[in-house]
Amino acid sequence: MIKRSIFCFIVILLSKSIMSQSVLSQNDSIKNNLDEIIITATKTKRILSSIPLNASIIKKEEIERTSATRLTDVINEELGLMTVSDFGGGEGIQIQGLDSEYTLVLIDNQPLIGRSAGTLDLNRISVGNIKQIEIVRGASSSLYGNEALAGVINIITEEPANGFNADISGSYETHNTIDNNFSLGYKSQKFTSSLFVNTFSSDGYDLDETDELNTVNEFKNITTQLKLGYDLNDKFTISINSRYYNQIIDNIASITLSGETNISEKNINLKMNHKTKKFNTDLEIYFNSFYGDEFLDDQNGNRFSESFYDQTLIKPEIKSIYEISDKNNIIVGIGNRYESLDRTYFDIKPKQNSPFIYFQYDYRPLEKINLLFGGRYDKFDEYKSQISPKFSGIFEFDDNNLVKISTGYGFKAPDFRQLYFNFSNSTIGYSVIGYNVVNDVMSQLIDEGQILNIVVPLEEFDNSLSPESSFSVNIGFETSFLKNFKFSGNFFNNSTRNLIDYRVIANKTNGQNVFSYYNINEVSTYGVEIETKYKPNNNFKISLGYQLLYAYDLDARKAFDNGEVFARLTPVSSAFRLKKSDYFGLYNRSRHMAIFKINYNNLENKFNSSLRLRYRSKYGLYDSNSNNYLDKYDEFVNGYFTANVSLNKLINQRISLSAGIENIFNYFDRQNISNLSGRIYFLRAKYNLK
Amino acid sequence: MKTIKFFTISFILLFTFSCEDDNNIGIDTISITVEDLHAPLEGGQGSPVGASGPFTKFNFENGIQTDSETNWDIAFRGTSIIVNGGESMGTEGEPERNGDGAAYIFEGTMNEMEIVEISLLTEDSQNSYAIPTGSGNGWYTYSGPPNHIISPTPGKILVFRTHDNKYAKVEILSYYLGAPENPDAFTDQSRYYTFNYVYQPNEGATTFD
Repeated sequence: MIKRSIFCFIVILLSKSIMSQSVLSQNDSIKNNLDEIIITATKTKRILSSIPLNASIIKKEEIERTSATRLTDVINEELGLMTVSDFGGGEGIQIQGLDSEYTLVLIDNQPLIGRSAGTLDLNRISVGNIKQIEIVRGASSSLYGNEALAGVINIITEEPANGFNADISGSYETHNTIDNNFSLGYKSQKFTSSLFVNTFSSDGYDLDETDELNTVNEFKNITTQLKLGYDLNDKFTISINSRYYNQIIDNIASITLSGETNISEKNINLKMNHKTKKFNTDLEIYFNSFYGDEFLDDQNGNRFSESFYDQTLIKPEIKSIYEISDKNNIIVGIGNRYESLDRTYFDIKPKQNSPFIYFQYDYRPLEKINLLFGGRYDKFDEYKSQISPKFSGIFEFDDNNLVKISTGYGFKAPDFRQLYFNFSNSTIGYSVIGYNVVNDVMSQLIDEGQILNIVVPLEEFDNSLSPESSFSVNIGFETSFLKNFKFSGNFFNNSTRNLIDYRVIANKTNGQNVFSYYNINEVSTYGVEIETKYKPNNNFKISLGYQLLYAYDLDARKAFDNGEVFARLTPVSSAFRLKKSDYFGLYNRSRHMAIFKINYNNLENKFNSSLRLRYRSKYGLYDSNSNNYLDKYDEFVNGYFTANVSLNKLINQRISLSAGIENIFNYFDRQNISNLSGRIYFLRAKYNLK
Repeated sequence: MKTIKFFTISFILLFTFSCEDDNNIGIDTISITVEDLHAPLEGGQGSPVGASGPFTKFNFENGIQTDSETNWDIAFRGTSIIVNGGESMGTEGEPERNGDGAAYIFEGTMNEMEIVEISLLTEDSQNSYAIPTGSGNGWYTYSGPPNHIISPTPGKILVFRTHDNKYAKVEILSYYLGAPENPDAFTDQSRYYTFNYVYQPNEGATTFD
């Protein structure tokens, strides 16, 4: 019964994606969209509204309606998600108050690599050929292993419709930002193929004219994706999915120093699927390489600095779904992750094999109840192997009301930088050493007479560094007490342990310090997400979302509790002791966040528009009163609103036009918010060749 | 702020006398605010090693800078603070210790620092100063890039034994000339100490009432 209905939904989904090539979707039902199929949550095709996890989908129609071009644009309009800029200019995602290094990012179910200091820059990802973006909140290492500590984002790219199809689109924005897309697809009974090309370039912008540096430098990038699939017979399918990305950014470090930063990423996935009535088995081999280099030259053209970064991931995996009955199925997967890294500031080229095995049991004892159990074992040599269990369950009272709970374990293994870094700053003179090479590098520094005294005994580095880990709980409900009104809520709690930080391990004779990494912090993030959706009539759709977030370092909270923290009212007044309630929490976390959206859709006139309003409450970026903690007497970045509007018109069967404004209020903060450039106008045209 | 260079070696003294008299000792404690005591430095920053140049010596009893070789209690050079007791680290320009000076850091507010814990007092030594050097170790926090500000860490009270066996407690308030509310490491002149202190002039008294 269930299987058949899932099958039906897939058919609906396919036929719908054929019909809705335009930006105007035919039917946006308020509740339980039957065409919302999510893969990420269970590694099987499931209807979003029936899964017990805290998950959501952003669909192609919604992305097109907002004329988003990069993944960052889309993420920033989702409740509970936001992108945060790092010092290198990358924009990573924050989920439920956890940093971007703890979210796994997948494209077509396969992981992306190439993180800079933990941040995976979401601007790398074009949304020009995306079918949907699937988001799972909460620890998910039970299926995905490393990095799935806060959640998983999976970008599912489009499959071609039957026959030949092609479209081309271009958009122009303020700052001379140009985004072009070309896609070509062909599908017959046995063969599918699609090609996608995106180019994206911008002059960048400068929020602070007083210095020589730009806030965002000029850049250009290209994304291409080629997918091929062939049905060998009614049981076997083979497919190849390959993607290439290249970006060049001007690198201007000062008046005298300039150069270029280059990133290129290649990935290819070979997949063979075998499907019978009871078994559905995938054999996949995934290759991913990420290469980056940068240089700076001085005024005379002499090389001042250069560095490179060359990372490889190879992951073979076999996964099988066994349909025991229409009440339950079981998934078993086994594979190996091979990773290597060659980069500047490493004395060795680390390589690592980490084999893994996982299972999941999906059980529906009653029509209204669905339970999921699962676990995964990841074996590591350099640090503690990980067992990641999960449990989740959903109870559907009726079509409109449900409650669900999901719990799980997530971990993030120490990265190669934390293990093998060997870096000495040439101008200031401090050193940073990876945990596993502390003994080697320190004895070298001691021999060279660079060490004044040792702060942390070197024996402490004999034990291995532990992976960062988290246990998460999500408890949610959905209800629609009126026909056109839906209300949902979710409570979340993430208890994170062994977070890796750095500390001084020795003093150098030049007055600087030697740093290395260690497991220290325990962080707790908890809060509530609430969302209401209201559809007064066929033309309007309104939604309001709100997230309340508390994010604390537990040691910091203890220090406040013990009265060990002090502050001054003005920088030059006498210090006083702070109370427990004066602790604000982690940096870069806003207590309140809200998103309000209105969609207007007029089918007769083939016109639609959308308005999105986003609020982020105040947050702290650094300790401004020198007590090492973020307290209420620190300086904060002001809370702010941004609003975006877009208008779309289908001129005829082939041509659609869009225009809009991002950041209507022209809000910016020169010092603190580098990814908000002020008001942006855009125009976009799309032409359907077929 | 930029014009008063001649203020570098003069300072304003604000005398207030506490009138409580609850420990039978004759003379009242003295509370003083010292402004813009200039403590120049040549060479190394953040560590005594490699640093050179004379220290700016200070006497608590008189509340002024002094050039005396013996009649000084503490001395400043850049972010380093030394006491007139113990041994020299041997850096160039470091004065000879010939008194009973010693120090420790009390964690708390100025008012909470009521009685000196004699056992915590340490003298300067060949390896380290009684007031540890380096950000976060002693009296200050260095913000690092991009602002490079040195701020006195709130809640750090420096407790001193003077060269002649009396006690003082010190709260440093600013490291920049004119004690600006929001110092800018690139435009404000650094190595100018503003601090409050309370001096106990009575021999053997370890309280600051």
